[in-house]
Amino acid sequence: MAKAFNRFALMRLDRKIKSVKNRAKKRNILERHKVTVATNKQIRLANKQLQKSLLSSLTAEEVFDLKLQQALKKYDLKAKWEYRKVNHSLAKSLFEAKEASNEQLMQKLMEENRAAVDALDKKRADYVEKLESKKRAYVQANKVDEKLTQQNKQRFEKDAEEQRRKLRQLYDEKNALATAAIERFDANTASALEELTKKRNALLGSSRKELSDNVILSVKDLCMYFGGLHAVDELSFDVKKGEIFGLIGPNGAGKTTVFNCITQFYKPTRGELLFRNKEDVTVRLTDYSVHDIVLEGISRTFQNVEVIKEVSVLENLLIAATRFYTASVFEQALHLPILKIEEELIKQKAEAVLELLGLSTYKNWYAFGLPYGVLKKIEIARALMTEPKLIILDEPAAGLNDTETAELATLIRRMRKEFDCTILLVEHDMSLVMSVCDRVCAISFGKKLALGTPDEIQADKQVQEAYLGVSDEEGGRQ
Amino acid sequence: MTTLERLEKGLLCNKSQLQREAAPRSPLKGALKNPLGQYALFGIILVVLQLISSLGSEFGIRIIPVSFMTALGSTLIYSMVSMGFCLLLGYSGLASLGTAGFIGIGSYCAFFCFQEWGLPYIVAIGMTLAISIIIGVFVGFISLRIEGIYLAIITLGLSEILRYALQTIRATVNIDLSNITLFGTRIDKEVVFYLIVAVLLLLIWITNNLIKSPTGRAMLAMKNSTSAAQAYGISLMKYRLLAFVLSTVYAALAGIMYMMYLRSVSTSMSTLFRLTTSLNILGAVIIGGAKSIWGVLAGTFIVFGLDSMFLQSIPLFNDNPTLITLFTGILIILVVMFYPGGLQQLFTMLKGKISAAIGKRREAKYGKGI
Repeated sequence: MAKAFNRFALMRLDRKIKSVKNRAKKRNILERHKVTVATNKQIRLANKQLQKSLLSSLTAEEVFDLKLQQALKKYDLKAKWEYRKVNHSLAKSLFEAKEASNEQLMQKLMEENRAAVDALDKKRADYVEKLESKKRAYVQANKVDEKLTQQNKQRFEKDAEEQRRKLRQLYDEKNALATAAIERFDANTASALEELTKKRNALLGSSRKELSDNVILSVKDLCMYFGGLHAVDELSFDVKKGEIFGLIGPNGAGKTTVFNCITQFYKPTRGELLFRNKEDVTVRLTDYSVHDIVLEGISRTFQNVEVIKEVSVLENLLIAATRFYTASVFEQALHLPILKIEEELIKQKAEAVLELLGLSTYKNWYAFGLPYGVLKKIEIARALMTEPKLIILDEPAAGLNDTETAELATLIRRMRKEFDCTILLVEHDMSLVMSVCDRVCAISFGKKLALGTPDEIQADKQVQEAYLGVSDEEGGRQ
Repeated sequence: MTTLERLEKGLLCNKSQLQREAAPRSPLKGALKNPLGQYALFGIILVVLQLISSLGSEFGIRIIPVSFMTALGSTLIYSMVSMGFCLLLGYSGLASLGTAGFIGIGSYCAFFCFQEWGLPYIVAIGMTLAISIIIGVFVGFISLRIEGIYLAIITLGLSEILRYALQTIRATVNIDLSNITLFGTRIDKEVVFYLIVAVLLLLIWITNNLIKSPTGRAMLAMKNSTSAAQAYGISLMKYRLLAFVLSTVYAALAGIMYMMYLRSVSTSMSTLFRLTTSLNILGAVIIGGAKSIWGVLAGTFIVFGLDSMFLQSIPLFNDNPTLITLFTGILIILVVMFYPGGLQQLFTMLKGKISAAIGKRREAKYGKGI
């Protein structure tokens, strides 16, 4: 009873901490946005003012040029089709002539075409000439004092410089104000958070545990029983910070079950799962529900690709970032500015991730019908969207060919380097595991066989037996 | 572009800016390309129809008959329900056959609040919404445990229980709104029609916003793969409850509007709170295309509006009312067989074909582009 109450209180505290953080984040975003809005407004106003002085500084010729360019553009758009028609008919008859190998006709056709194109060119030149004559008439009619325009021009440049300086000053001022406000808010938030954390620690009391410095995930005596089936039995291993850790084993060894236990898809029967989360606090993963794991900094991919096929690739990444929006459902229903700002920020991030994985071309494609290799990459991109500390890859190389697997190996190393995260992967493809992993843990029937560097694992007798089986004679001898 | 970049480059004062100023784009054209502008236009057309009708009846000219407007009004009420069902079926992937019961709750709440207890307008609506939210949460909790066809059966049972309970409380409800004023005007049929248009537009706007926000995407993720959704922090409980609460609230609002517009329902006689309505709504959403707002509106007009607005004035259909049902039935079969995405899919396909045909014609005339 007391235990259940304790757990409930812990949950409430966690929720409170989360809401405090969310509120702080939202306030900061809005504060920054205020600067943008104010500056943009001033930019618009300044532009309007400058436009007037720019117009007064233009000579009649320049004013007319603006109109002339537009007319010419329109003409060209129409003329494009005329040109295309001429060339198309030529191509057709040329082809026929070539089939008949009639050199003379070909020559003649080319000449005809030349003439037709020349006629079109002349038509355009005539049009330009007409415009020019109009321009001359306009300039004649609207004579402007050269000296005055020159003066205006100088004045305009001076004005522009002045405005630019003013705006820069305004931006700096506003920015400084916003930064000060944010710092003040942050200090408040930090003190509130400290108090909450103290409460949390007091609540945890003696059951509080700390991981040693270089360990990010520790699995200790993990058991997962499905009725009588012992899928995972007394499994223990530690994953160090920044390493690529591989989990291997024959089919049905319980690798995916281990993953599901870590991500809380299954609640383990017994055992302890400790994890160093985003804020460097050691947490017990079993205290969290499935959908809160991602906030602690664990993200995973799936063995059989689980990309949302009804939406585009970009939206798939946005789905992964759902928890990183601070806008509430109410704010979303009314489309308040906070949502628009956050959407913009998260979209930028998603595009950066897509760029990194070379998926930018597929950005607006529907995920339905994309090749398997691309879908696998989308899954990885989705995992990267949540700013994870630990990425769990469930058979990333399944269904990929050799080139793609080699590419994947480079990608995994790059992920570790650029996103500063630890990677835990289950894999059947031994070439990938042996080339990429720093340490490997081999399991069979839910029990640990061996743990060590890839070379050690390869040499291990027990592992060889689990994979290749024991012959009758050998078994007899044992 | 960040603000700082805009500051550096932003003082445009260049010629392209001036050119744009010289030839501004038509604002109307831009507004109509925006979905919100389209919805606003839809609302304006409805209001104008009602204005023409009431002006005509004042001068004794029958341009748009009153019966047509009544049919249009009730179709609009049904489209509110469909809008909620679109969120439920099209986005969250939850099938429910309890829609009719939810409408019944709205209607009866309106009846008791206005007629029996004489509560003020806002209080009455607030109370109805509160009750419908409670029921939505209840059904949402059920949906956490049960999925697919079983959920449909359970909601169907729930709806029948609700109907039977309502029928026992009062078999026929009549509402008299002559004493109630809204913003200082007496509520007659015309005013209620404007109110319906306003509420429908509000619901369309909210639905549109939700669909295009993280909530809509989270619902789609939940529909496609629950495990992927959970792994990325989408709580099934939150979004399933949300979907059910939204759909019950929409249905309850429709119930209030129905009560105000048609003023009397005989629960024991009419089919309004029975399975037929739930199935019709389901049919409407499927015909239209469960993921598009225009599709849902079109589907509702076909299922509910077509016969009462147009076909009933044709003698052949008026004499044999079964023909109308036959027509809708055949339409549903055809749509489901050939266009599983509904009218929305048909429309998109036609649009693509037309643009392809234009391109082909241009190619034949001027040749291929280089």
